[in-house]
Amino acid sequence: MSEITIATSVPGVAPLPSGAAAQPERAKISVRELDFYYGDNHALKNINLNLATNRVTAFIGPSGCGKSTLLRVFNRMYDLYPGQRATGQVILDNQNVLDAKLDLNLLRARVGMVFQKPTPFPMTIYENIAFGIRLYEKLSKAEMDHRVEKALRGGALWNEVKDKLNDSGLSLSGGQQQRLCIARTIAVRPEVILFDEPCSALDPISTAKIEELIDELKENYTIAIVTHNMQQAARVSDYTAFMYLGELIEFGETNRIFTSPSDRRTQDYITGRFG
Amino acid sequence: MSTLLSNHVNGSKGAGVADMAVEGASIDSAGPFDRAKALSAFKLGDTAFYWITRACAISVLLILGGIILSLIIGAWPAIAEYGLSFLTTQRWAPAADPPVLGALGPIYGTLITSIIAMVIAIPVGLGIAIFLTELCPIWLRRPIGLAIELLAGIPSIIYGMWGFFVLGPFLANHFQPLMISLFDGVPVLGTIFAGPPSYLSLFNAALILAIMVLPFITAISVDVFKTVPPVLKEAAYGLGCTTWEVVRNVVIPYTRVGVIGGIMLGLGRALGETMAVTFIIGNSFRIQSSVFAPGTTISAAIASEFAESDGLHQSGLILLGLLLFVLTFFVLASARLMLRRLEMKAGK
Repeated sequence: MSEITIATSVPGVAPLPSGAAAQPERAKISVRELDFYYGDNHALKNINLNLATNRVTAFIGPSGCGKSTLLRVFNRMYDLYPGQRATGQVILDNQNVLDAKLDLNLLRARVGMVFQKPTPFPMTIYENIAFGIRLYEKLSKAEMDHRVEKALRGGALWNEVKDKLNDSGLSLSGGQQQRLCIARTIAVRPEVILFDEPCSALDPISTAKIEELIDELKENYTIAIVTHNMQQAARVSDYTAFMYLGELIEFGETNRIFTSPSDRRTQDYITGRFG
Repeated sequence: MSTLLSNHVNGSKGAGVADMAVEGASIDSAGPFDRAKALSAFKLGDTAFYWITRACAISVLLILGGIILSLIIGAWPAIAEYGLSFLTTQRWAPAADPPVLGALGPIYGTLITSIIAMVIAIPVGLGIAIFLTELCPIWLRRPIGLAIELLAGIPSIIYGMWGFFVLGPFLANHFQPLMISLFDGVPVLGTIFAGPPSYLSLFNAALILAIMVLPFITAISVDVFKTVPPVLKEAAYGLGCTTWEVVRNVVIPYTRVGVIGGIMLGLGRALGETMAVTFIIGNSFRIQSSVFAPGTTISAAIASEFAESDGLHQSGLILLGLLLFVLTFFVLASARLMLRRLEMKAGK
């Protein structure tokens, strides 16, 4: 009963490409036999999946299933904390992200991240954007102004802040702060953007704006999003991965996952029977 | 409810029922009345609480005012005698007739030792704090943190003795000759690091001060660095920042108020520290360009002379104390000003 309800309530899902059984698209990130440990806790178990280039991949599943953990593997954020380690392969354009010799700063410039709570830096709106750019490029004032404007436009925030660029980033509302964080992320021109429950602290209008933005961003970026909101996953994503207890249960086109999931647990989760 | 129950139990005993009913009614009607009474008792306590806390707060003002007033009264003969020339005179000759008293030497010594101490202690203190919070392996955190706390707990007289018997000779025999020969002939630096080496010098005192204020700066910085939300640091790392860039652009701006507070607390201690400085500064009122020459500070001068002073000499020493008070006040005020500027710059 509820499967049908869900299916009809997801008008935003793109129609199935004809004859697309598997993923016909080029993989930006390819995860192979990934295991992850918090100390002795085996948090991710043998994960295999591809993130398609210029597509949105959503990760859903109950709390503690490992979706955020998986996201934090893509930019090696877990490296900041002792006792966390990953084995297997995460290939980003022919390069293994888990390679110990990898330049982490470069990786994180290529794989940007937006967090659950807005995290503006304690500086002005302008500086919040310029800060990231300055890490990699020496620009003149005019060029920097241009880049900041472009990033803020990209984050759908320019019109709201163009007259107060020198105000503190902390003075913005929660939704604006989150778009500032997205603008800041795209300012450094990443290739992949990871969204870790980007809307869970936002009101519905801000959420709608961010979702719209994600839809625009996928033209230029490969996007992975973790969300607890099933409708959101259905609205914004092209592919959906359902995870449960550290395992990837089911992965496929969003349309198929939400209309005819092949695994019983996926079906139970998206229809709200547990989770 | 209980009345109903009793009614049922005592059903056959009419009198008992009547008693219960009367009791119940009296409790009901007394309820609101008692509550008002109870509340008024609370109100009395609240009023008393308000006045006690207020008295505590006011007593601080009274004590502060009293200290300032008694300093001014005690210093008045010296103020009347020397006026502003007290600030510009270098000579300190209480035994001369009439006595000549000038505070320039102690003021200079106080400022120079504090500045050198802070120049050494701020980077080292912040460095330790950053290492402890951002980089240190967990097993090393506790020993270093504990050592810092112990350092803060050592009485200043022990620093003084250690400075006199160990640090002074070491600096005079090894560090000072090295610096003197290194900068020999260099303009400006050559005069700042000029010979001869000395067990008792401004620099030695400044180094002791640096060691003494270090734990303050470190302990407070560690505490405020820990308040930075991990997700904010992750966001900066997520842009590709190195640890240095995260600390420089996120951790320190986020915690600047607390860090500056810690630095000011350290500076306050450096300005007023007496015992350790008196041991190793040499108590010379002459101003010399070299930091390796002996000097004195306001508090060291007071400590070493107050016991044998009287008359105008004593009044002059009290005036020195008043100056230290004013100096500390200005340091704190300028710290507030600096914070406000920083906040404006950050766009608040």
